Amino acid sequence: MSTSTPAAPPATSAAEVRPSRPSASNRRDRRARDRRRFATRSLLNLFLLVGAFTMIVPFLWMIFTSLKSPAELALFPPTFWPQEWRWENYPEALAAAPFHIYFRNSFIIAFSHTAITLVFASMAGYALARIPFRGREWIFMGIVAMLMIPTYSKIVPQFLIVRFMPLFGGNDILGQGGTGWLNSWWALIIPGGLSASAIFLFRQFYLSLPKELEEAARLDGLGEYRIFAQIYTPLVKPALATVGLLTFQDSWNNFLWPLLVTTSDNLRVIQVGLAVFQQLEGTAWGYLMAGTTLATVPMVLLFLFCQKYFVQGFANAGIK
Amino acid sequence: MSSRTSRTRRCAAGLTAALALTLAACSAGSDAGGGGDAAPGEVSGDITLLTPIYEGTEGQRLLEDELLPQFYEQYPNVTVTVDYTTYGQLNEKLTTAVASGLIPDVMMMGVGWIEGFADRGILANLSEDAGYTQADLEADYAPQIVEAGMWDDSVFALPIMLDTRVGVARMDLLAEAGYDHTPTSWEELREMAIALTERDAAGTLQRTGFDIMSTDLRQGFETMFFSSGGSLFNEDFTEPTFNSPEGVETLQFLVDLVNTDGIEDIGFTSTDAEVNPLLNGRAAMGIAHNSLWTQAEDAAPDVMEHLQPFTIPGEVPGMFFGGTMASVAAGSEHPEAAQALTEFLASPDAALAANEQRGNVPALTELLDSDYVQGNVMVQFAMENLDVAQREGGPPAWLEIRGDIKPAIEAALLQQQTPQEALDTLADAAQAAIDR
Repeated sequence: MSTSTPAAPPATSAAEVRPSRPSASNRRDRRARDRRRFATRSLLNLFLLVGAFTMIVPFLWMIFTSLKSPAELALFPPTFWPQEWRWENYPEALAAAPFHIYFRNSFIIAFSHTAITLVFASMAGYALARIPFRGREWIFMGIVAMLMIPTYSKIVPQFLIVRFMPLFGGNDILGQGGTGWLNSWWALIIPGGLSASAIFLFRQFYLSLPKELEEAARLDGLGEYRIFAQIYTPLVKPALATVGLLTFQDSWNNFLWPLLVTTSDNLRVIQVGLAVFQQLEGTAWGYLMAGTTLATVPMVLLFLFCQKYFVQGFANAGIK
Repeated sequence: MSSRTSRTRRCAAGLTAALALTLAACSAGSDAGGGGDAAPGEVSGDITLLTPIYEGTEGQRLLEDELLPQFYEQYPNVTVTVDYTTYGQLNEKLTTAVASGLIPDVMMMGVGWIEGFADRGILANLSEDAGYTQADLEADYAPQIVEAGMWDDSVFALPIMLDTRVGVARMDLLAEAGYDHTPTSWEELREMAIALTERDAAGTLQRTGFDIMSTDLRQGFETMFFSSGGSLFNEDFTEPTFNSPEGVETLQFLVDLVNTDGIEDIGFTSTDAEVNPLLNGRAAMGIAHNSLWTQAEDAAPDVMEHLQPFTIPGEVPGMFFGGTMASVAAGSEHPEAAQALTEFLASPDAALAANEQRGNVPALTELLDSDYVQGNVMVQFAMENLDVAQREGGPPAWLEIRGDIKPAIEAALLQQQTPQEALDTLADAAQAAIDR
């Protein structure tokens, strides 16, 4: 066994061990770079601040308007801050209509639409993206074509479908004799439960996932449903958040359809309730803004909780 | 709020087209029968009421807690289910109801709407079914208001409330400029408007001498047009006459006020403004809705004593009225009950309560003496001058035509078209709608 003494490291001076001090010109360059970086970041922050302020001003205006008296709303030039904070606008606005029922109804409808959309639109999107079948492209083109049909042009046919729904609301098998789904939860929930845009978005997300996952899952013996539910869908959480939030928002803001298919106050929604304050003879701005402020709260909370996934979803879908 | 206006316009355009296609197939024949001869106790049935008024807690309380109990006292065997809607969505509500065949027994709708629905057989003919005659009604209402509920020489609706557009002047601001009276002619109106308009050193408008932007432009134009002696259609409503010399002169007058005299800038105010500019001194004169008085009670009580309504002084006094009327569905299964409710809602006590709740103008001339009318300067003025008030509408296609009027006026005001071109284009579109 031979012993060998490891070669001694080359002698180094203390100056060589310590990191070399930047020269004066390097320090100047670094300081200049830092200053430039600071200036750029400051400019960017300023730009974002201005953008954020521009975005938030309408909300602030809405909130401050909701706290002004009619006399103050009549002032010119208008005030930004309320001179007198009129908090009673809120209880008075809520007393103008059964808003607790309207809130409940809006929530039930929006929640139902979101749930139906997340389940069925994701399935449809998965099928269009990952399951090859005859006519798949035609079906997809049909869904894209549906995106181009204006909502208002569908209202009368949709209303007739609801009205003549067989075996509901006293209708016979041919849809005659009764009121069908009119003035019922069915009419409020089912027709708006699924949208072509949600299917389209899900398809785009499922398309972006690698095929190898599916192949591996099939080798492991997983069936189609388990591949959809256990492999792919957990990877599209941003899509679920994005589509869910957009669906909830659309449903929450819906006005015309609930107005048309219901006659009972017990089935009316928040947006229909708010219309009470905007009449032909004039608008009660204080009450309208108080009601609108309250109506935006659920959406703001939802966005705060989902914003991480929501932003990711838009980024991934390429629609940011 | 502007999105609401455009949304409403889109809805109306789309659904009016759908209405034209579906009404003919779905409308029921006029077999209402009835006649109102039955004793109240013998009248029975569950009926539905579609109403764009009485919405909101106060309106619902008035209808459900006060008016309907009074009705039930007279007609104990009748039950009324109420469907509230807004005026903005009434057309959609009626269109879908008619298309589906589920037409409310009693429908409240606006002046100018009756002709289209009566022509398609949706409304019961109250002259045939209940014996109403034009002459009888003119004993209680101004003739123009009676005509608003008629089609083809028959009565189809009873007036309940009116909303008017008149000239309004701030007399305190007029006095500062040396005027002690409202305008007596278009020329004087123009001269006063110019004198009362104020701009700052930079030329920014501070006060308009004559505000035409915070009233719907269609209704503002029509108010001026009526004062020129013009009419919207020929006598049998087969041709539009917007583009008559009177129409062109009216639109040219408005265009000159804005673009030559600079009395008001586009965007200075709008129908969505938080408050009418007459109330906060941003306008010295203007065309306004009669609800200005009740708005002033809330927002600017100090200026109420200075508000002076006036009819627009042209060839004839100009005043516009719209309003709400009650009609019975031709296919109602309970025509006597529906007719009874219609008559009740149009009766003096019920109509007065509804008008008071909304600050509107009662259609019945006998209500001129009521405390409510006597205490509301704008409503009182409107009622005292109902004989000169004119309405819009006329042909069955009015709901299609009216949506095109505002864009035509805007095109002229923005100088994209001359008044003659804008009105000719409008008349062509109106003629096409009438001929369809």
